[in-house]
Amino acid sequence: MARARRNFSITALPGFASIAVLTFVLLYVPIATLVVFSFNEAASMSRWQGFSLQWYQAAFDNSQVREVSIRALWLAVTASAIATFAATLAALATTRTPKFPGQTMIYALVNQPLMVPEVVTGTALLIFFAGIKMQTGYTGMGYLVAAHSAFCIPFAYLPIRARLQTMDLTLERAAADLYANHFQTFRYVTLPLLLPGVLAGFMLGFVISLDTVVITEFVKSAGQDTLATYMLGQIRRTVTPEMNAIATLFLLLSAVVVVLFFILSRKRP
Amino acid sequence: MADTTGRAASATNEIEIKRLSKVFWQGDAAFRALDEVTIGIRSGEFFTLLGPSGCGKTTLLRLIAGFEQPSAGEVIINGRQVAGLGPNARPVNTVFQNYALFPHMTVADNIGFGLRMLGKSAAVVRETTGRMLELVRMEAMAARKPSEISGGQQQRVALARALAPQPRVLLLDEPLSALDLKLRKEMQSELKRLQTETGITFVFVTHDQHEALTMSDRIAVMSGGRILQSGSPADIYNHPAERFVADFIGDTNFLDVEIVAVNGRAADVRLPGGGTRRASLPEGLSPSAGTNVTIVIRPEHASITDEAADFEGTVEDAVFFGTDTHVHLRLPGESRFTLRRQNTGAGAVALPEGSRVGVRVAEGGIQVLRN
Ligand SMILES: Nc1ncnc2c1ncn2[C@@H]1O[C@H](COP(=O)(O)OP(=O)(O)OP(=O)(O)O)[C@@H](O)[C@H]1O
Ligand SMILES: [Mg+2]
Repeated sequence: MARARRNFSITALPGFASIAVLTFVLLYVPIATLVVFSFNEAASMSRWQGFSLQWYQAAFDNSQVREVSIRALWLAVTASAIATFAATLAALATTRTPKFPGQTMIYALVNQPLMVPEVVTGTALLIFFAGIKMQTGYTGMGYLVAAHSAFCIPFAYLPIRARLQTMDLTLERAAADLYANHFQTFRYVTLPLLLPGVLAGFMLGFVISLDTVVITEFVKSAGQDTLATYMLGQIRRTVTPEMNAIATLFLLLSAVVVVLFFILSRKRP
Repeated sequence: MADTTGRAASATNEIEIKRLSKVFWQGDAAFRALDEVTIGIRSGEFFTLLGPSGCGKTTLLRLIAGFEQPSAGEVIINGRQVAGLGPNARPVNTVFQNYALFPHMTVADNIGFGLRMLGKSAAVVRETTGRMLELVRMEAMAARKPSEISGGQQQRVALARALAPQPRVLLLDEPLSALDLKLRKEMQSELKRLQTETGITFVFVTHDQHEALTMSDRIAVMSGGRILQSGSPADIYNHPAERFVADFIGDTNFLDVEIVAVNGRAADVRLPGGGTRRASLPEGLSPSAGTNVTIVIRPEHASITDEAADFEGTVEDAVFFGTDTHVHLRLPGESRFTLRRQNTGAGAVALPEGSRVGVRVAEGGIQVLRN
């Protein structure tokens, strides 16, 4: 008894195993079902009739799916790149400069999308962009790019900042001591060491942009559906395994990116 | 600050530091890490900053290197005011305490970094890097990453990297403190060799008195953000001007005595036995006869004698140390005194506890302290 108490372990609590199993079932059974039925021969979501790739074929043949997929990927790459760039600058400013007034404020501002509900941000953007649309008449992808970029910044910022904080400051001092100017110090010392953090930030931003429905729904103009909003629209009408196939591919892409993210953020400087 | 031409008064000093202060603010509380430090470091010398932890050694180096800006005072390097110049604009390189090698570059790329930043051609970089690798005997490791070499080797690479751009001054912040004793001894002579070979001015930081005494041309002893005394190792050791300096370097006997007479830089003091002896006065101190001062006598400057003893003491114990024996004495008035006897032969006289012995201090072995 005494021994058990000394080596307290949460796994020893009664019911731990059943709760754990239940959690995993709730998390993964729906996903597993989705994946399995994407390979179903029939159009049914409840009856398995045999293996087939026909729904993948259908998805690839669907020009609308192709169009929204390309748009979503393009948007995710662009927005995440912009967000990563801005997040890198913000992280440098909040870790590499002496404390300045308003630093905490900037930290809060950068992380605003994490704290404000998406519907609020979405509504605000809708109203704000509507004004600009009225004034300029511009209805292109710029609004979505801007909205996604802003939304992705905190997700890119956090891993980059974490990386910078663990980096030895004397390395940058040493570079300056060896006649490197600010830019050279950044280019040859800080950036190479920061790169895993930057890539991790980019990937996180990429996944977030690919995934976000609410912001996109509020901001997009006609004909600017992304994969996420397109699927939402389809599912409202009829559910076919074609959606399963798209979702499975989507899942695969996210999984690959997330795994890469973990590998990169684990790598120590 | 009166120096408007940008030229230093003394041409032989590589570095001139004038009334340099550095204040750190912690909220509203000010902390004086450096307090009006004034010192000249001569061209081509091995200059050591010696002092206990927290006395401001690193802070002084950082101000010279340009990583921090002074709160007051000035730094002049090679006759030029360097106020406002960043580290990359100063002809000074640093060997960091933790080496700070770039982990993503090879040994060779680390060494060549400074030259590349100076815009030297690839040929010059390659040639100099090769020479530096040879100088620190690391040719075989050129292609390795810093994580793939030992601590002592990293130390040598850090040294080569700092030497490669041929700075006028090399700043070394406790570069040997992370090494084990054997390696440290090796690197001490290696450093000395490099300094003589290159002729570069070395400013070396340590809190190890032996390291300071054996390697330096001159030493500055620091405490609490001030330089208490500077001079050659022998000068500092034999003529400490302050209690802290005497205490920090070597073993010391302190005795409170009375001044009998003063003539010039010397004074006659009355020793515990009643006799008077000649003592050296520290710079800037001229006490009048009758005042009480503290004197310093190094243990090896005193010997046991049968005739002409300066004072007598009672043996408390004698500790055998191989090459010498430390004899602990009690003097009249309850003060203690330690002397060191060279063990020259097997027939040394035994000193039983409680026996009374006479002590004679060698000529020039008495130094008056300022405080
Ligand atoms: N950035 C800073 N902010 C506040 N105080 C500081 C700062 N840097 C140094 N100090 C203080 O200044 C004093 C001198 O520090 P410094 O690093 O120069 O000591 P040091 O002589 O190099 O000591 P050590 O032998 O331990 O390296 C210390 O008391 C330290 O706490
Ligand atoms: Mg230090």
